[in-house]
Formats: sequence, structure tokens, C-alpha cells
Amino acid sequence: MVKKLLFLLCIVFLLNGCLQKEILDEVNLIDGIGFDDAEDGKIKGTATMSVYLKDQKPENKTFTSESEIKKTILQNIQRQAADPIVTGNIELVLFSKKLASEKGILELVDPFQRDPGVGSGIFLAIVEGEVEEFLNGDYGIAGNAKNISTSIKTNMEREDLPKTNLQRFLSDFYQTGKTPYLPQIKQISKTNADLNGVCFFKHGKVIHTIPPEKMFFFKLLVDKFSEGLHQVEMEEGKAAIQSIRSSNKFKLTKRDPYEVVIKIKVDGIINEYTGNDLSSKDIPKMEKAFEKEINEKSMELINEFRDKRLDPIGFGKFVKTKTRRFDINEWWDHQYDELTIKVHSDVTIVEAGVIQ
Amino acid sequence: MNTVIPENKKVSPYFVFFLIYTMQIGVGVLGYQRIIAKSAGHDAWISILITGLALHVIIWIMYKMLHTVEGDLISIHMFIFGKVIGKYMNVFIIFYFCLLAITVIRNYIEIIQVWMFPELSRFTFTLVFLLLVLYIIFGGFRVITGIAFYSIVLPTYILLIFLFTIPFADFSNLLPILDHSFKEILLSSRDMTLTVLGFETILIFYPYIKKPETSKKWAHLAIIYTICTTLYLAIITFAYFSPVQLEKNIWPTLTMWKIVQLPFIERFEYIGIANWMLVILPNICITIWCSSQIAKKLFSIQMKKSAPIIALICLISTSFIETRDQINFLSNLTAKAGFYFNFVYIPLLFVIMMIRKKVKSREMDG
Repeated sequence: MVKKLLFLLCIVFLLNGCLQKEILDEVNLIDGIGFDDAEDGKIKGTATMSVYLKDQKPENKTFTSESEIKKTILQNIQRQAADPIVTGNIELVLFSKKLASEKGILELVDPFQRDPGVGSGIFLAIVEGEVEEFLNGDYGIAGNAKNISTSIKTNMEREDLPKTNLQRFLSDFYQTGKTPYLPQIKQISKTNADLNGVCFFKHGKVIHTIPPEKMFFFKLLVDKFSEGLHQVEMEEGKAAIQSIRSSNKFKLTKRDPYEVVIKIKVDGIINEYTGNDLSSKDIPKMEKAFEKEINEKSMELINEFRDKRLDPIGFGKFVKTKTRRFDINEWWDHQYDELTIKVHSDVTIVEAGVIQ
Repeated sequence: MNTVIPENKKVSPYFVFFLIYTMQIGVGVLGYQRIIAKSAGHDAWISILITGLALHVIIWIMYKMLHTVEGDLISIHMFIFGKVIGKYMNVFIIFYFCLLAITVIRNYIEIIQVWMFPELSRFTFTLVFLLLVLYIIFGGFRVITGIAFYSIVLPTYILLIFLFTIPFADFSNLLPILDHSFKEILLSSRDMTLTVLGFETILIFYPYIKKPETSKKWAHLAIIYTICTTLYLAIITFAYFSPVQLEKNIWPTLTMWKIVQLPFIERFEYIGIANWMLVILPNICITIWCSSQIAKKLFSIQMKKSAPIIALICLISTSFIETRDQINFLSNLTAKAGFYFNFVYIPLLFVIMMIRKKVKSREMDG
């Protein structure tokens, strides 16, 4: 038995180091990558990484290279870098709007879902302008990609940016009767970036974008839970209402043609009020005004999507879950246009802050 | 032929639960969702329940047969086909268990190669792994049972890890229920068999159980637990992936881990895959043990000789399987062999056995 154990022990030592090692200090950990449109049908890739220096804030370093597919971009970048490049730490993938609306991003997303080293929780975003320029900015001490991805995350959790990431994007993309969407970001100065809209995709190409003002209503429609601030105007004054809880329920009320009723419930608190006194009479009024606005703006948004042949809210998917032998071709053909949609919202203002 | 097994080499009846459950949960669990969704889509969870029912029937049949002969599959074969033919029927069973072992090892190596180390050598990994397996086998059946016990208890926490996918899951993906025809659902039940294969090892280790009749309820419990586990995983998978996305993912279970982020570890797959080695270890031990057990009885050689030979066969075959197509071919072959063995051959044996029994008792009367 002792002999056998010794033999096993020997093998353990012999096999040690058989495989390629990747030591954290000796690799280039890319944390963000972006793609631009280049000439002759090529794609320009820009990878960014943080270089950690002693007693200083990490330095951003970017590599740029042109190629036809992502892996060769990485290979070209490797020629510029000393240590091996690894993709396991990617947090952010950016696409320029030009590339996304002309060529589509599908082929570029494929390697990220194929690569076992890349997580499903990474953020994808569309950049208004050049990605290379965008990634060469300097957005904070944590490194560019890290900062932007944290900013996206914060806005999804606390503000009105609808939730997306690689998994949600792919899931929507492959879902029958739903089209995906991604946040849009813009560089406003060398040190600042702004999340300025949501882009909508069809067949992998951006075909529509909504401005930040509409994001609040879009998030109410797609996310189960949304926090966000919205300004309501009344005769007496303006009020800023923050949603602290929200829910949306879809109901199929009629078939042939289909009719869907969306019930949106919002619990909010008043953050700011410009009128004189906030009396108990004003609150129901404010609720009514907010409800009316939600109903109108949501319908506007829904019709906007319908005109563009988009379905980011997933009406097709919703009807599919209620219908056996659902035919998606017929849906896009005429059923989606014939669909009647009604939005009923119910706003409750639960608190109005510490003063009257 | 039916040598008496000393009491101190036998295991308690409730260990049957661990032995059967550990055999059923192996590499199949990492990727069965896509395979069963091929024909029945999101209704495939119904197929899992149907497979479960079928398994209960088969287990019942197996116990009935084993109880009649008071031995293992070898005794069943001899009882039915007589001494000469019955003996050689068992050669196929040796190969069948070898096939199971090879499929598990090769699939697991593929997972390591794709997810962690592309340059991992099949030969060295299998060699070291099989040496460990042999070491356990030489410890006797009780040691194997102990390994089986730990391989279930230790990785149980993994089941909870899947709850990380809930925020991203959309359970309306499972609606509408029964959107597929009954035939499609049955087809996917058949596809489910590779995942739950392995319970047939009871045919070999039955004599090693103390008071074997009493272990029947543990076998049924093991099946129920397997079905619960696979059902739980399948429902989470169908909610997490949209149907076409699921079709693209070869290992949905592993892909789901990609979303898991813990404060102390960025990505869970690496821990999960490494942990899975513990899950498949008893699979290989039990299958190789079964193979060598039959070989031992058949050719009257010692286990010390038969087990290394079987392991060598596995080692060589594993090294020869190179591409994904070949692996798929192997998995399909095993699934087919397993399906026909468990759901056609065993019931057939049962019918023949019942007839034989009648004839024999009549001869006795006469």
C-alpha cells in the first residue's frame, strides 16, 4: 500500500505544471473591449485594460487594431503587448452606433457567448460616436471599463435605465416575439460619459433609439421593479415623484383580434414640490396627473415601437405563452398591428418627505 | 458459482439510495436540458416525470427478478438461458458497463478541455483518474459506497447555486403547458434516458446488500430524488434560457453558472467543474467494479486482476476518442445501448423468467 501511495505521489509531482499557467501579475487582463466600423469592411477593435502601479491610481491603457473577426483583433493586439492577453475579466463591450446600425453586432456578440472565460453578466452598450475615442477618455480612478460598467449598473438598479446584460440581450434576441435593446452612452467630455438613451434592435441592427425622458416609461413596461424619478406638472406647481416600487401585469382579455391590458402599479414618494403648500387635497390630484401621464406616454411608446416593427416589451412572447400552436409569422404579418393595447396605471403616493 | 459474500463486506440497505442516486447524477446532468428540449421544447419537464414513472417500473421488475434468483444478473442469465449460453450473455454486460465508464470519463474530459484547459492530455488525466478509481475499488465495495455517499453529500450546495439565476429567469417561458404532442413528449422521455442511466448497476451489487429485499424502498426513493433534481434543474433552465438560446448551449447547466458572481469569486464554473470530479468519481468506480465483478465470476479470476484489465480497456478507448463528433457518437451509442438494455432487454428477461418459472414449477409438480 505504501508503495502504491508513493507511486501516486510521484505522478502528482510529475504532472504538476503540465498545463499552461496564468498568473495574475503576468497576464494582461482586458476589462473592456469596443468595436468601430473601419474601412474595407473591416472592424476596428479597441481593448482597454488597467495597469496597476504602486501607490498610484491605475492607469488606463488601450490597444487598437483592425481586423475582420474579434479573435484576430485580439491576436493583433497581442503583438503590441508583452504579457499574454486574457479575456476572463471583461466587464464591458461597446459598439459604435454606426457599426451597430449598418453592419449589426450579432457576429461580434457570438465570441462572447462562445468563450467559456467570459461571464454572462457583462454589460453591452452602444456608443454614440467613436468607440476608440470613447475608450481613450479617463472616467475615474477605478479604470475606464470598470467605471462605465458601474455607472450602467447603478443606473439600472436605482434609476430609469432598463436592465440589460449579455444574458438578457441574448435571451431576448433568441426569444420568439421579442426584440432586444441596449443602453446608449455618449462621451460628453474627456472625463465624463452620459447614458443618453436606449437603442432597439431588429435582426442585430439598431433601428430605433429613445431619449432619456422616455426611459422611465419604458422601464415601467419591461422591468418588474423600477426605481426612477419623474417630474409631474400640475396647475399648482411641479413635483418630482420617485418611484420606490412598481409592478406591471399583462392580461390577455380578448382574442381575434387580440387585446392586452397592462396594469402598472407605482408606489412613489414626493421628492420635490414647487407649489406653495402640499395639502392632502393635492396628493390625489397629483396621483391622477401622474397616472394620466403614464397611460399616455406608455401608449405613445408602444405605438412608436409598433410603427418601427419592434417588440421590445414582448407582446408577441406574452401572447405566445397564452396560445397553443402560436404562429410567429402570422403575428408579425398582421396580428401585431391588429392588437389592441390598453394601459391602466395606478399610482399611490405613500410619502411626501419630512415637511408638509 | 453463487459464492457466499461475508457479512462484513456487505452494506446496509439504505446505502442503495446513495449508490443509485450517485450513478444517475453524472455528466448527463450538465447538458440534458438541451437534448430533451429538442423534441418537446418547454414541455420537456413532463417527459422527465414520464421517465421517472418508467424507472420505477423497471426498478420493480429488477427487484422481482433479483429476488427470485437470490443473486445477481449472472444468476438471472443462468436461470433463464442455462449454464452455457447464460454464461456468455454476460460478456455483453461487461462491455456495457465499460461503455458507461468510458462515456462518463470522456465527456468529463471534454468539459475540462472546453471550459478550463484546452491542452489537457486525455491519456494522462485518465491514467491518474483510473489509478485513483482502482485504489478505491481495491478497498472493496464498502469503500466504494463511502465514496458514493460523500459524492452526494458534499456537492449538495451546488443545487442552491442555481438560485442565482432566478433574477434572470422568466418562468412564463414554461407556458403554455402541453403545447407539444404526446408523441413529442414521449420522444423526449426517451432522450432523457442517458441522463438517468446507471441504476442498472443494482443488478450486479444486489448480493452485496444486507437483507436485500428491504432495500427496495431506498431504490425507489433514489429514483424519486433523481427525478426531483433533474426536474428542478430543467425548470430553472427553461426559465433562464429562451428556447432558441437553449438549442445553442451544449452545457446549459454550466452556462447558467456563468451568471453567478460571489464576493470572493468572480466566476463559479471553475469551482463547479472541479467539484464535479467528485460527482463522477463513484460513477466510474461503480461501473468498473461491476464490469470486473462479472469478469471475475465469469473467468474465475481475482478482482485484483480483472479490475486493472477493465481499467486498461477504458484508458485505451478514452484516448482514442478525439473530436466532438466522436464523443457525440459515443454518447448516442451509450444512450441507445442503455435504453435497449433497461427498457427492452430487462422487461424481456422478466417475461421469459416468469414463463420459465411457471414451466419449472410445473415440472416439479409433474
